[in-house]
Amino acid sequence: MALTASRPKRRFRPALWVLTLPFVIMFALFFIAPIVYAIVDSLFSTKASGLGFGAPEKVFVFLDNYAAALSNPSFVESLGRLLLFSLIEVPLMVVTALGLALLLESARARWPRFFRVLYFVPYGVPGVIAALLWGFLYIPATSPVLQGLAAVGIDVNPLSSSGVLFAIANIALWGFAGYNMLILIAALNAIPSELYEAARIDGASEWSITWNIKLPLVRPSVILVTVFTIIGTLQLFVEPLVLRPLTTAISSDYTPNLAAYNQSFAQGNPSLAAAMAVIVALIGFVFSFGFLRLVNRKGNRAW
Amino acid sequence: MFGPRNNRTARLALAGAVTLGLVGGLAACSSGGDSGSTASADNPVEITFQSWVPNIDQAVDAFNASHDDVKVTLETVTAGPDGGYAKMLSAVQAGNPADVAQLGYDAIPDFLVNDALEDITDYVGDSSDLFVPWQWNTGVFNDKVYAVPQASGPLGQFYRKDIFDSLGIAYPTTWDEYYQAAKTIHASDPNKYITAFAFNQAPWLIGLSQQGGANWFSTSDDAWNVTIDDESTLKVADFWQKLIDEGLVKIEADFSSEWNADIQNGNVATWISGSWADAILRGTAPDTAGKWAVGAMPQWQAGEDVSATWAGGSASAVLKGSKHPKEAAEFALWLNSDPESVNILTNVGAGWPAIADTSEITSLQSDPEVFSFYGGQDIWDVFAASDAAVDTSWKWPPLSSTLFSSLTDNVKSAVEGGTPLTDAYTKTQDDMVAALKAKGISVN
Repeated sequence: MALTASRPKRRFRPALWVLTLPFVIMFALFFIAPIVYAIVDSLFSTKASGLGFGAPEKVFVFLDNYAAALSNPSFVESLGRLLLFSLIEVPLMVVTALGLALLLESARARWPRFFRVLYFVPYGVPGVIAALLWGFLYIPATSPVLQGLAAVGIDVNPLSSSGVLFAIANIALWGFAGYNMLILIAALNAIPSELYEAARIDGASEWSITWNIKLPLVRPSVILVTVFTIIGTLQLFVEPLVLRPLTTAISSDYTPNLAAYNQSFAQGNPSLAAAMAVIVALIGFVFSFGFLRLVNRKGNRAW
Repeated sequence: MFGPRNNRTARLALAGAVTLGLVGGLAACSSGGDSGSTASADNPVEITFQSWVPNIDQAVDAFNASHDDVKVTLETVTAGPDGGYAKMLSAVQAGNPADVAQLGYDAIPDFLVNDALEDITDYVGDSSDLFVPWQWNTGVFNDKVYAVPQASGPLGQFYRKDIFDSLGIAYPTTWDEYYQAAKTIHASDPNKYITAFAFNQAPWLIGLSQQGGANWFSTSDDAWNVTIDDESTLKVADFWQKLIDEGLVKIEADFSSEWNADIQNGNVATWISGSWADAILRGTAPDTAGKWAVGAMPQWQAGEDVSATWAGGSASAVLKGSKHPKEAAEFALWLNSDPESVNILTNVGAGWPAIADTSEITSLQSDPEVFSFYGGQDIWDVFAASDAAVDTSWKWPPLSSTLFSSLTDNVKSAVEGGTPLTDAYTKTQDDMVAALKAKGISVN
């Protein structure tokens, strides 16, 4: 105790600075600077005049780009679509990952290592490749699954306007459930086995062990997985981009990120794209921290 | 995306950035000094050329072989609307663009409104008479030259002659006959369609309207007149609406894997496309060699001869910020007018040459490899006639990219939601006028 108390409070430690400097520089250059750049850019707009063949000028428009984005019906629609997608995807992802983790970590699981790898493998497939792959499976002309179903009289079109959101959710689930499962398995493995022994001596069933020991103890990991999934779903981009040419149900502004991409790279309006990106970032911020506040309230430990 | 993969990519990106930064720093020490030095055989000026035309490297090689003082490096980019233009524009903004870029005629005003093109009047202004006037004029604004035309994409109809013959269908010379042919083809086999309705392809949709007599953009009093919902366009839209409603065309994106399969197995029997589509067709469906033929565009009035283009054509422009605009402009001129180069370009499928005198272009006179794919037909006769029948007064406004994406989005949602196709064009009219005004451009 005397030792810690006598430690000098503000000693200059060069090693600390030298070792953190690379991080600070990179963090500033590649994280802070782009954010500041995007925010500044979102306050400007390039204007032409006459027939538009002269050089344009950059003018300060303050929040006009934000107003333009939020008064654009298809952008607002894409925000709504994204929320709907999150409502489908987040619970589905968390429940699937948790279910798989509990099954593979239960005492009766057969070949848990094999299945762990099997479920994790899709995560190793790059997002674009995964979407292309599923794209082939979603088109009747190239999909053995749909052709098989059609042969027995079931006609499904996963890329119809009513089904496409689920088709995308399926790709995301396929790609990331295994990863989230692994996080939860790690948490389950960290539970000391004395707790299980004590429970069994007390005569607890597998079900009540799961409910009263496993779930409460992996709670922090479940929260982590949920926050990651919320952030991930809000960035929905690759899957609709790749599937877009295959269906009439996906427009060039199907999700906010797609709309920003389209504005910036197809329509030459990076300022509006920056405003859209900031809006999505704000929503992600509000959702993630809102969720964390919700689950971390005192007394909110129902399970 | 759906997990902390971001962290990993962020770390990778960071590591990459560090490496790049180090390498870049080293490179900066060793390079420098080539700008401003006079060109000579020992010390040639190096310029880069961005294009997406397959095999255009043959033309670049030919240039390098015949020029000692300039060395061109080809950089292959994705097709303009699919990301190539974005790459070029960002490079211009960042101040390190390629010197010469492949640009669609539709994209030239778009690049101009972004202040991304170099004025090359001083270098190539005298060469206007080498080119077909309307194509030359696609690169001229306010009497300044910004681009050298390469090739146009006059429309023709590629069709499976064997299917037409076996069903006893004569080649449709009018759209009425086209409609009848569509019915016969679909009646013969419910999986077969006369064509794919390419909701994703703005140049295709625009070409059909143009061939119907539409002329969407004109200027008067230093302002644009926009008439995307004119009578001719709505007539064309109503025609395709009828085919869609009766299930006679397949709603399908062109160049998609599904479309490729349908072209290969004959479920889609025709394709209205530019002259350059020949190379694509031969590449996509080599097994169907000998079964295809090419016909002129069906007409709205029997006996007429009206054609159109696939979004005009393609040009070479010098990007703003090029360190060697003179050499870049000279390369652009050589590439698109030297008979040797134009021969190569025509061979590789760049399109219908923009030069006025095509007598030296041997590949247009006879090309056994191409003609045998079409059962021995000289398909270039069809496109020569088509090129001559194009309404050359069509003018591209700035923001053609907005036009393309708005048009395809609106047509998509009409097809998807079962709303009238004509509404899609009315909506596109509103979108385009709003976009132009928002950009500060005058609209009447």
